[in-house]
Amino acid sequence: MRQFLSLLWLSLFSFSIFASAADYHEQLNLRPLPLSSLLASFNFRSNTTLDDFDKGNFRFFPRSLAQILQHAGTRELHLRFSLGRWDAETWGARPWDGAREGGTGVELWAWLEADTDEEADHKWLTLTNALSGLFCASLNFIDGTRTTRPVMSFQPEGDHSTVTNMHLLYGVLPHEVVCTENLTPFLKLLPCKGKAGIATLLDGHKLFDASWQSMAIDIRPICPPGGECVLQIEQTIDMVLDIDRSKRPRDNPIPRPPPGDQLPCDTSKPYNSHDTCFPADHTNQEWTLSQIFGKTVKGTCPLADSTIPPVCIQVPDSRSVFVSKDVHEKKNPDGLSRCFDIAPSTELEMMLPRLDEGASTTTDIVTPETPLLYAERSFTGHGQERGGVQTILRNPSPDTAVEFIYMESLPWFMRIYLHTMEARVAGHSHANKSLIQQVYYRPALDRARATQLEVRMRVPPASTVFLTYDFEKSILRYTEYPPDANRGFDVAAAVITILDPQPETIGSHGGGAAKSARRFAAYTLRTTSLLCSLPTPDFSMPYNVIIFTSTAIALTFGGMFNILVRRFVAADEGPEAGLAVVLGRLKGRLRGMLKR
Amino acid sequence: MPRLLASALQLRRDPRILKLPPYVSLLCILVGVAWLFLLPLDQYSRRTYISENALLPGQVHTYFGGSDQNVFRAYKHEVNELAGKSNTDVNDKLEPIVKGLGLKTARQNFTYHAAGHTYSGENLYAILQAPRGDATEAIVLVAAWENVKHEINRNGIPLALTLLRYFKRWSLWSKDIILLITPDSIAGPQAWVDAYHDAHDPSRVSSLPLKSGLLQGAIAIDYTQETRFESVHIVYDGVNGQLPNLDLINSIVNIAGGQMGIGVALQEMWHHDNGYPDRLRTMLRGMLKQGLGLASGAHSSFIPYHVDAVTLRPFGDGWQDEMAMGRVVEGSFRSLNNLLEHLHQSFFFYLLMQRERFVSIGTYLPSAMLVAANFTIMAIALWVKTGQPAEGAAPKTKTETNTTTTTTTTTAERDLFLPLGVVALIQSLSIIPLYLFNHAPESTLTTLFIAFTALNTLLPQVLSHLLTTLPTTPTTPHQFNLIKSFSLLLLGMFLSTLATLNFSLALITGLLASPLSFLQPCQTRAGKVAATALLNAVSPTAVLLAGAAYWGTDVTSVLKEAAVAWQVCGTYSPVVVWCVWWPAWVAGGVVVLGGRPGTPRGVGNKEKMG
Repeated sequence: MRQFLSLLWLSLFSFSIFASAADYHEQLNLRPLPLSSLLASFNFRSNTTLDDFDKGNFRFFPRSLAQILQHAGTRELHLRFSLGRWDAETWGARPWDGAREGGTGVELWAWLEADTDEEADHKWLTLTNALSGLFCASLNFIDGTRTTRPVMSFQPEGDHSTVTNMHLLYGVLPHEVVCTENLTPFLKLLPCKGKAGIATLLDGHKLFDASWQSMAIDIRPICPPGGECVLQIEQTIDMVLDIDRSKRPRDNPIPRPPPGDQLPCDTSKPYNSHDTCFPADHTNQEWTLSQIFGKTVKGTCPLADSTIPPVCIQVPDSRSVFVSKDVHEKKNPDGLSRCFDIAPSTELEMMLPRLDEGASTTTDIVTPETPLLYAERSFTGHGQERGGVQTILRNPSPDTAVEFIYMESLPWFMRIYLHTMEARVAGHSHANKSLIQQVYYRPALDRARATQLEVRMRVPPASTVFLTYDFEKSILRYTEYPPDANRGFDVAAAVITILDPQPETIGSHGGGAAKSARRFAAYTLRTTSLLCSLPTPDFSMPYNVIIFTSTAIALTFGGMFNILVRRFVAADEGPEAGLAVVLGRLKGRLRGMLKR
Repeated sequence: MPRLLASALQLRRDPRILKLPPYVSLLCILVGVAWLFLLPLDQYSRRTYISENALLPGQVHTYFGGSDQNVFRAYKHEVNELAGKSNTDVNDKLEPIVKGLGLKTARQNFTYHAAGHTYSGENLYAILQAPRGDATEAIVLVAAWENVKHEINRNGIPLALTLLRYFKRWSLWSKDIILLITPDSIAGPQAWVDAYHDAHDPSRVSSLPLKSGLLQGAIAIDYTQETRFESVHIVYDGVNGQLPNLDLINSIVNIAGGQMGIGVALQEMWHHDNGYPDRLRTMLRGMLKQGLGLASGAHSSFIPYHVDAVTLRPFGDGWQDEMAMGRVVEGSFRSLNNLLEHLHQSFFFYLLMQRERFVSIGTYLPSAMLVAANFTIMAIALWVKTGQPAEGAAPKTKTETNTTTTTTTTTAERDLFLPLGVVALIQSLSIIPLYLFNHAPESTLTTLFIAFTALNTLLPQVLSHLLTTLPTTPTTPHQFNLIKSFSLLLLGMFLSTLATLNFSLALITGLLASPLSFLQPCQTRAGKVAATALLNAVSPTAVLLAGAAYWGTDVTSVLKEAAVAWQVCGTYSPVVVWCVWWPAWVAGGVVVLGGRPGTPRGVGNKEKMG
């Protein structure tokens, strides 16, 4: 993992040093993971000089996005579309040290150039609305209640030495479902538009069937020492494919039980027979590129930098990988990865053959690296009035403590009780005050602003820490409920930024820009999002109430009105009524007629 | 109109109106009971229907089967080898199998103490993470190692394992699937659900190391039958008579009946001809189970946490095999997986009388409310009566009313201290049986019960004797009436509140306590003996004995069951029996035995009642 990353970073650094002019680069990294999974990391990077950017000369940099950035005064932008969860227990550390992933849904943070907070808010609104149209996502729903201004968790990756009035805004939509309509505009930003090169493998059916996937766009200005400043756009797609599931043919995706004789059985069991089979699954990996992606790599993108190999795979050198002809294999000196050079018009097919039964499992795949921290967040308590959040943070390292910033941006209807927040080491019943070092808390305003909570804390080596706090659930107004109110309300993932303990050592082999990017966070991870159930009224109730009150008002109003407008007269005072009156009138008439 | 009003006001002063309440009370009870017997008729019950359209029950093809049966047989061999082994050994064997399916596993220890016994064990559970999901929602598949009758779930556990292996292959799950294997059907699931919602006592139940999102539903498999089955029995009663959403039951009925051609039975009605007697029997069985409030299966503990759950138990002699049962579960899980929102559309309060007929709360609630109202009516009547001058004055006012429209304005002063004190004393005494029967070890329960029964018979005698002899001024009949009034008022209040929570318990308690409304202070010795006999026939202890005799068990096991339910599941039926019904009964006894011979008003009362 580290080797893999250093390789990537190395290529990034060398690139950022030597290539100050506009250029484009793409690479696919395949990494088999335990339990028949495969991580595919696509990386596309292009840049343009700031001078060209200001003049509107674009070659590789997508014009549509650039114009939005110019219009909204955005200096640096990070956009994430993610789905699923990274299984750190099995898959180990995250790709790119977690720097290129977001929580479930859509996440956006940007540094905007503005003189006042109001101007920044205004530009942020412009930016989210424009991006919403560009990426077919509901980014325009990132309003004031979903926007926060993180103080400790994020640092700009780019070089902003000339700008002083930058505002960081962060918004997240945990309920946004990422799908193909987001992938299509993503691919359109690429110089080869997914028609050539590794982007040909990207297909909505496979990408969104993945166990975990993250699409990222990062735009940052980079100023190499002595060179011209460039604006860099990096597009990354990481996905973890389940090999068994991906290998199923597209026209028959239903996992019907295989015929009995094709079932891999554990033959050592005494009862093993033709109709009794203890399954022996998950032996080792065996796949071809066209099986798992449904197609092969169609040549290379002619615009891409040809010095960088477009496809790499991380398997031990002892394992053989078969590729189609005219493809040159280049093993890396670390013995754990190899890259392939492809001629511009050849199709790349790759095959990872099944390992022999005799070989030990350790040589099967490269063992994943242990992450710096495991985090798991869940709700505690039940009922519709109160609840709690518990985050379990486990430091697997036997000798180094981990220092990190835990950031939550909670919706306003979760009112947290800050005094209940405590951190406790597992096995101890009392809270340990020394674990929480610094807290930044900005309380929510009802219907206007979200809660922002940033906690700087430390987890001692080889220990588990429980961070807990309680909250109260508000009752929403009748019209504030979404159509699927009984589903619950999504709470965005917590962002955990692990601070780099030795800022100089890791960045020392890279250039200045990379150093600044690496100085702050050593590893980033996000917890899963949560579903918070609020007290929900029975929505037919208002209609019952309307009908009931209408009836009651109609009845009372009718009676009242009747009584109010009627004149009451005593029976003896009023004119006579009844048959006698009628008879009297008749008599009078008759008399009149007689007199005439 | 004004004339009508005036005549109504006149009627209010009419002394005849004071004679009405006992008849109104009786009418309430009779109508309440008759109402209940009308419910199974077609005109009063409704056909069930699926209210939540997202469920789409039986709309998907189920593919479980084929070579999965080979896997099932292998797992069954593994499970059969484990029969008779200890809970930890079983989990040690099952955990690697579940891990081999690619699931995350964890264990949880629990220990409960009830009736002098220790109920402890270890739950094993595993989470199949939704392939593209985000740990926000989950559905649970429960397979207890033993069912409530302590039979080993020989087919249920292998079936659950095979199903999880099959579910793992699908990528369509929107919710995590949790497999829960518990050592028993009551304490294990209860400990797990409590810990999942952090409502557990950490000293008895350990916390869960692994969690997922909100639980949206749970299905328990209780499949002990070794031969091929005919139909599926759905057990749906939760703790304290809470019920799962009717949509869940309807979906399973729909999937089993419509898609698989498997019949469905409810409330152990193995044969149901959909006629009036069978419907009534199903309904009454359901009401009895609801009234007892005990856990009826591994699903019961989920329901108090608003997680809709049922247990499926195959029964009968037919041609359906394990794979058919697996497909029913698969279909149900696919339906639950479709849910966009938590089940909320359909009914949570209902009485089922056939798999496709039910009555909802609006239709059946008046029955229990009428029974509860009878106590309130009597209490108010007694209160009014005690406000009027005592004995001897009544005939005079009667004659007056004939001549003048205004009635007596004379009012008697109510002496509230003694009656309130007596009712408060009896209410506070009720803590004693509640505590004793829930905390005594099983070995002492029989002697405790006998001793309590004896004391219980004597208590009204002693109390009434003390009341008539001890105070410096002897207790007046008005004060006895006030005791009765307060006690009935409390009873009416408790029961009408309870009727909205647990209809059946309120109705059953109300019917058993209904004689208390009509018992009057007795003056003659023979009357006292007869009243005492009647009173003791409807005492809580006598009903407990009769119930135990009816089901062919002894009182000890009934009390033990109640204590376990109280300690483990938090069943509140003992509170209703000891703190609502029993005090009312004691107060009734005090009133009956408190009458002094020769009181003219009492005689008059008897005549009126006669």
